Amino acid sequence: MTLAGSRAGRFLARVGAIAWKEILHIRRDPRTLLLALAMPVVMLLLFGYGVSFDVDRIRLAVSDQDRTEASRRLAQAFTENHEFDPVGGDDADDADTIFRRHRAQAILVIPRGYEKDLARGGPARAQLLLDAADAVTAGQVLNKADAIALSESRRMASAPGISAAPSLQVKVSSRYNPEARSAVFIVPGLAAYLMAISAVLLTALTVAGEWERGSMEQLFASPVSRLEIVLGKLFPYLVVGLIQLLLVLGVGTNVFDVPILGSPLLVILAGVLFLAGMLGQGLLISVLAKNQLVATQAGSLSSLLPSLLLSGMLVPIDNMPAVLRLISRIVPARYMVDALRQILLKGNGFAQVWPDLLAMLVFAVAIVALATARFKRRIA
Amino acid sequence: MGAALEARRMEKRFGDVEALAGMSFAVQAGELYGLVGPDGAGKTTAIRALAGLLDLDSGEARVLDMDPRSGGAVREALGLLPQQYSLYRDLTVMENLTFYSRLYVLPRDVFRRRAERLLAITRLDRFTDRRADQLSGGMYKKLALAAALLHEPRVLLLDEPTNGVDPVSRRELWALLHEFVQGGMAVLVSTPYMDEAERCDRVGLAYRGRLLLEGEPGALLAGFDEEAYEIAGGDRDRVEAVLEALPAVRSVSPAGSRLRVDLLAGGRAGVAAALAPLGAELRPVAPSFEDLFLSRLQGEHAA
Repeated sequence: MTLAGSRAGRFLARVGAIAWKEILHIRRDPRTLLLALAMPVVMLLLFGYGVSFDVDRIRLAVSDQDRTEASRRLAQAFTENHEFDPVGGDDADDADTIFRRHRAQAILVIPRGYEKDLARGGPARAQLLLDAADAVTAGQVLNKADAIALSESRRMASAPGISAAPSLQVKVSSRYNPEARSAVFIVPGLAAYLMAISAVLLTALTVAGEWERGSMEQLFASPVSRLEIVLGKLFPYLVVGLIQLLLVLGVGTNVFDVPILGSPLLVILAGVLFLAGMLGQGLLISVLAKNQLVATQAGSLSSLLPSLLLSGMLVPIDNMPAVLRLISRIVPARYMVDALRQILLKGNGFAQVWPDLLAMLVFAVAIVALATARFKRRIA
Repeated sequence: MGAALEARRMEKRFGDVEALAGMSFAVQAGELYGLVGPDGAGKTTAIRALAGLLDLDSGEARVLDMDPRSGGAVREALGLLPQQYSLYRDLTVMENLTFYSRLYVLPRDVFRRRAERLLAITRLDRFTDRRADQLSGGMYKKLALAAALLHEPRVLLLDEPTNGVDPVSRRELWALLHEFVQGGMAVLVSTPYMDEAERCDRVGLAYRGRLLLEGEPGALLAGFDEEAYEIAGGDRDRVEAVLEALPAVRSVSPAGSRLRVDLLAGGRAGVAAALAPLGAELRPVAPSFEDLFLSRLQGEHAA
C-alpha cells in the first residue's frame, strides 16, 4: 500500500473515487449519455444538410421587354450553368407579387431598347431585382449575377467586329474550401459549439446535483478536498467530450468529406484544452448556482451564445464591431474554431496553432482555479 | 484529558433567525450525548458547526481539541450522519460504501472486513445490490450510519438519525450506538423525540439556540419538582377549560385518549377538588422526560 501511503497517492485515490462515482451516475442514467452523444451527430447532419449557405438553382423570373436576340442571350447566360433556374414569368405580375408568392428569388428585367443600346456601343442596362429578405442568400445571388454579367459583357466585347481588346478572364477561387461548401466551414465550428454546450451543462448539473441531493454535506465532512472533487468530476466528462469530438469529426469526414490535413493528435490536444475550460465554466456556474434549474439556464446561455456568435463559427470575427471583437478574445470557442480550421483544413502544425492552444490553456487554468476558490466548503 | 467534542458559547445568525444563541456543551470519549429539542432549536446548526461545515459568528466548536474546519486530521477522526438524505440514490448499498471507503483511502482488505461487519450488524448484508433509493427509511439510515462508521471515527455526529424510522429500527439504531460508545467513541445524537433522552448517557435540552437544561437522565428526572398525573373520567373539553384556569397546572398534553397534566409540587389537592364536580380524578404516573421538557419549555414560553 505504498500508493495509498503517499500524499500524492491519497490525492489520486480520492480523485479516482469521485471519478468512479461519476461514471456510475452516467451509467445509471444512459439517456443523458445517449443525448450527449446523439445530439452532436443529429446537429451535424442538420447543419450539414439542412443549414446550407450554398446557393444554387436560384429561381429566376425573366421579364424580357426587349424580345431581341441580345436580350434572349443575356437571359440564357444566367440559366445555362444551372445556377439560376428559369421559372415561368408572367409579365402581368409585378415584382412584389412574384416575391410575396415566393415564385422566384430574383427577377431579371431587360428593358425595351437593350439591343439597340448595345449596338450603339453605349451602356446597355438590365435590372436584377432581388428578394433580400434572406440577406445571406441575396448576397450570394448578387455575386453570381455580377460574375455572369461581367463575363457576358467580356464575351460581347471580344466578339469579332466589335472590339479588338483582349478578353479578360475573371476567375474567383477560394482557397482551403475551394468549392466554398458550408459543411467544411461549419464542422470545426460545430464541433466547438457542441462540446461547449454539453461540457458546460453536464458539469453544471453534476455539482448542483450534489447540493440538491444533500450529498455535498457528507462529502464536505470527509477528508476529500475541493480540488479532488473538482478534478474527479472533470475527468469522466472530459472523456465524454472527447468522444463527442471524435463523433463529430467522424461524421464530418465520412459524410461531408471534411479533410483532416493536420495531425489528429493535435486535434485531440486542442480538444482536451478546450474541454477543460468548458468543464471549468460549468463547474463555476454550479458552484455559484447550487440548484440544477438555475445551473441549466446559466449553463446553456453562457455556452451557447458565445460559442455560436462570438467564436467565428458563423460570423467572421473580423466583421464584428470592435466591442464584440474584444469580447471574443475571452471566448475559448474562438480559439478552438480557429485551431480546428487550421489543423483540419490547412494542415497547420503546432508551430502555427500554439497561440490558440495557449489561450485555451490559460482560460482553463484560470476558470478551474476560480471555480475551486469560489467553491466554499460550507453548508448554508 | 479534554472533551472529545466541545461547543463553546456558539452563536450563529441566519438573517433574522438566531440559530445558535450561545450554546455550550461538551462530550467525552465513550459518552453518548443527546441533544434533544423541538424543530428550530438549533440542533442541526450546532452539529454542522461541530462538523466544520459552517463559520460561527462567535464562540467556538472544537473536535479533539482541533478546529473542525482545519481539515486533514480532524476529518479523518470525524463521522457525520446528516439529517437529510446524503448518500447517492442511484448507487447500490455496496457502491455507496465502496465510494466512502475510497474517499478515506481505506486499504481494500480493511474495507472488506469492516464492511462485512457493519453490513451484518445493520442487517443490510442481504441488500448489498439494492439501490439506496429502494431502501426503507430505517434501512437507509442504517446504511448512512455504516458509511459514517467505515473509517472508524473517534467522534460521531448524528443529526436526527431516528427521524422517519420505524420503532423496531429505532431500537436497533440505539443499540448499535451503545455498542460503539462502549468502544470509546464520542457520540453526539440530536433528536426531536423527548422519550429518546433516557437512552443517552447525558442529555441537553435545546431551545432557541441554547440549552435550557443539561445532565444525566436519571438525575434530571429525580430533580423534577413537579408531579405528573393522568386524568380519568369527565368531559374532556370541560376538564381542559377548568385546568387552564388553575395556577398549579404547569402543562397539559394529550397522552393517547387521556389527558396528562404536570402540577407544581403540592398542587394536587386543589386540582383534585376542582375536577371532582366534573366526575374526573387524578391518577399519579411516573414523570417522564416529556413531562420534564414540556414543563421547561412552557416555563420558557411564559418567561
